[in-house]
Amino acid sequence: MTDISDRQQLGYIASQAADARLNLELETEGMTLNIGPQHPATHGTLRIIAKLDGEQVIAADPVMGYMHRGYEKLTEVRTYPQVTSLINRIDWLGSFANEVPFILAAEQLMEVEAPPRAQWIRTILFEMSRIANVVLFLGDMAVQVGAVTPVFFAFRDREHILNQIESATGGRFHPNFDRIGGLKDDLPAGWVAETKQVMKKMRGFCDEIETLVMGNEIFQKRTRGIGVIPPDVGLQYGLSGANIRGSGVDWDVRRDNPNGLVYDQVDWKVWTHPDGDSFSRFWVRLQEVREATKIVDQLLDTIPAGPIMAKVPRIIKVTAGEAYVETENPLGVMGYYVISKGDLVPYRVKIRSASFNNMSITPWLLKGVYVPDIVTILGSLYFILGDIDR
Amino acid sequence: MSQLSSTDTPTEEAEIATDTVREAMLEQLSAELGDALVGSHLEPGIDLTIRVTADAWAQTAEFLKNGMGFAYFSFVSAIDWLPSPFGRDMDSQVDLALEGADPKEAEEMIWGLAGGETRFQVFARVNDIVGHRALTIKADVPADTLTVPSWVGTYAGANWHEREAWEMFGINFEGHPGLRHIYLPGEFEGNPMRKDFPLLARRVKPWPGIVDVEAMPGSDDEEDETDAGGSND
Amino acid sequence: MGLVESGKIPKGITSLLNMSRKYSLWVYQWGLACCAIEMGAAFGSPRYDVMRLGVIPLPASPRQTDLVVVSGTVTDKMAPAVKRLYEQMPEPKYVISMGSCANCGGPYWDSYSVTKGVDQIIPVDVYVPGCPPRPEALLEGIVMLQERIQNEDMAARWKGESIVVD
Repeated sequence: MTDISDRQQLGYIASQAADARLNLELETEGMTLNIGPQHPATHGTLRIIAKLDGEQVIAADPVMGYMHRGYEKLTEVRTYPQVTSLINRIDWLGSFANEVPFILAAEQLMEVEAPPRAQWIRTILFEMSRIANVVLFLGDMAVQVGAVTPVFFAFRDREHILNQIESATGGRFHPNFDRIGGLKDDLPAGWVAETKQVMKKMRGFCDEIETLVMGNEIFQKRTRGIGVIPPDVGLQYGLSGANIRGSGVDWDVRRDNPNGLVYDQVDWKVWTHPDGDSFSRFWVRLQEVREATKIVDQLLDTIPAGPIMAKVPRIIKVTAGEAYVETENPLGVMGYYVISKGDLVPYRVKIRSASFNNMSITPWLLKGVYVPDIVTILGSLYFILGDIDR
Repeated sequence: MSQLSSTDTPTEEAEIATDTVREAMLEQLSAELGDALVGSHLEPGIDLTIRVTADAWAQTAEFLKNGMGFAYFSFVSAIDWLPSPFGRDMDSQVDLALEGADPKEAEEMIWGLAGGETRFQVFARVNDIVGHRALTIKADVPADTLTVPSWVGTYAGANWHEREAWEMFGINFEGHPGLRHIYLPGEFEGNPMRKDFPLLARRVKPWPGIVDVEAMPGSDDEEDETDAGGSND
Repeated sequence: MGLVESGKIPKGITSLLNMSRKYSLWVYQWGLACCAIEMGAAFGSPRYDVMRLGVIPLPASPRQTDLVVVSGTVTDKMAPAVKRLYEQMPEPKYVISMGSCANCGGPYWDSYSVTKGVDQIIPVDVYVPGCPPRPEALLEGIVMLQERIQNEDMAARWKGESIVVD
């Protein structure tokens, strides 16, 4: 872990001072503001009850559960192949990435290893779902500060990625493509060349966003120094992904524990940003999309030939035992703790979803901020409701 | 954006956790916890699971965070080890709800890694992101009180996780600042993640997808026991 | 309005009114889950461009809308809010239920917390199947709704109950 940078320290002290000022100077009659459960700023059905003093938030209490679908219970009555089709829908922007840790956990229990080609394609699709997911964030973050155009660009360019995912997996949104022991199908002909074109387009999109949004003065004023998360607090709350890397913590499961994905075969870089504010989280995500395109490009060049399925029984009964596998999903670290008793159905699946932890910091983080900053801070934390509520 | 820098990624391979690392962790923990460490399971190269007494639950967290550098909090949740009297039979393909069968008699409980004594267990996971280590901690929840100490004092992020476990399993966390509903509406009755909580929709309507055999890629013979898909590229 | 209530509205005027209504549908996007993103793609992306169908996807409030697209999983916790939203809309109002979850519960048919179909709480005009439906499917659903509006008999709609203002 790196030390707290000066900038971070200043931001932190400033927010502390805001807290203190709040109590002394601005003593007015409080009011309670209810945001949600359906509000454009909350990406779905999050509800926030904020106690305000003037324009400052004294306490914010997020109310979740408007999207709670009972995944953990439902996995106990679904067979393993059925579970993957269900868990696609946890983080619906990067669906394929949801399947991977679960499949890897089941493979770990069954002591099956996917053939190299399957591992390669898995990693490619994993990174493509990261792009599909984060691209929408890049457009959406601009909406949070009042610029509507970038989100249209994001939707436009996201279609390219979705087309590629669809032509490879058959599912535009929810591929359900990963199998215990490998993948459902091989790549279609011509896919590799097309995907390379798309990656080029996505890099173009990143440049576009960088010039359009990041240098914008309003954007900088609205995000710099806002919502500062010191690294030690971030770790305590279990933040992950760009949220923790935006606080200068150099931790990426892809690099540190690739877990059956082939990130060790490519040349790429984990980006961190020392500031810990909304801007740094945006910046880190932008770099991650670029890195992802590079990873995909390199993997496309080196896909080995061979089978895409290992030898697995036709009817999958996962060996009794417990396994926990986590991967670096688009939203952060996602893990499945799978307890099997040797049956068709898992005995218990604990889904450790990234957004749940990422959001649990909000009561701490929103204390003392101004009302308009709620929107940018929530936007920069980047959550998917399905990933919080499961 | 040239003024923004990134911390350098170490170029050398990340340290691969070996047995020695996990064994050292286990040794350190058993030295600190003594009798409170009632069970452990070490899978070389994969994972370490320990089980502590409920009384030592908070103390373990404190030691892991401050004494061993496990600063990263991953999750807290619970397990119900009661064999389910509803839904799918645990060892067959038959959905009991289909037959309209009555709830089964409770079978004997079988615990997972690191053993167990009571029906409910809380389990948690913490990471040391500098040393790339992680472990799972379990604790038996006393059957009479269903209460374990809270982790909120040590890991602030445990707050929501404990609310979830309280709602889903009915386990109390002593010292938690406010155990209230997190997902379900306030009037919801029961703890849905308990194994004896029935999914009513399944009891009134048969499961439409009871046939669970899915054709594997490249397979053409229905009787094949195992099958390997071929690549055509 | 007297003509409408007594059922004597001329056919030509009905047709004209209906055509005007069907090409100025203000739609409220009640995005709940995965389908919200596909709805966003249909309504907000240049590729699908819903405005060419005469649908305006950016109302300020449900009180100014003609159509609501309920897209995604409706949970029991959310259901009161969905009902309240529907009550806030002025008549005549239409509902499109988008996706399996809103239609019938979808993959969460046996869940303890999901409402098995939004039609249990509000009346639905068009169901769009799929999990999630493609944006084209949603556009098709809107076109079907427009056909329905075009053929609507205003007299039939209002017959029987005269409007009483207290």
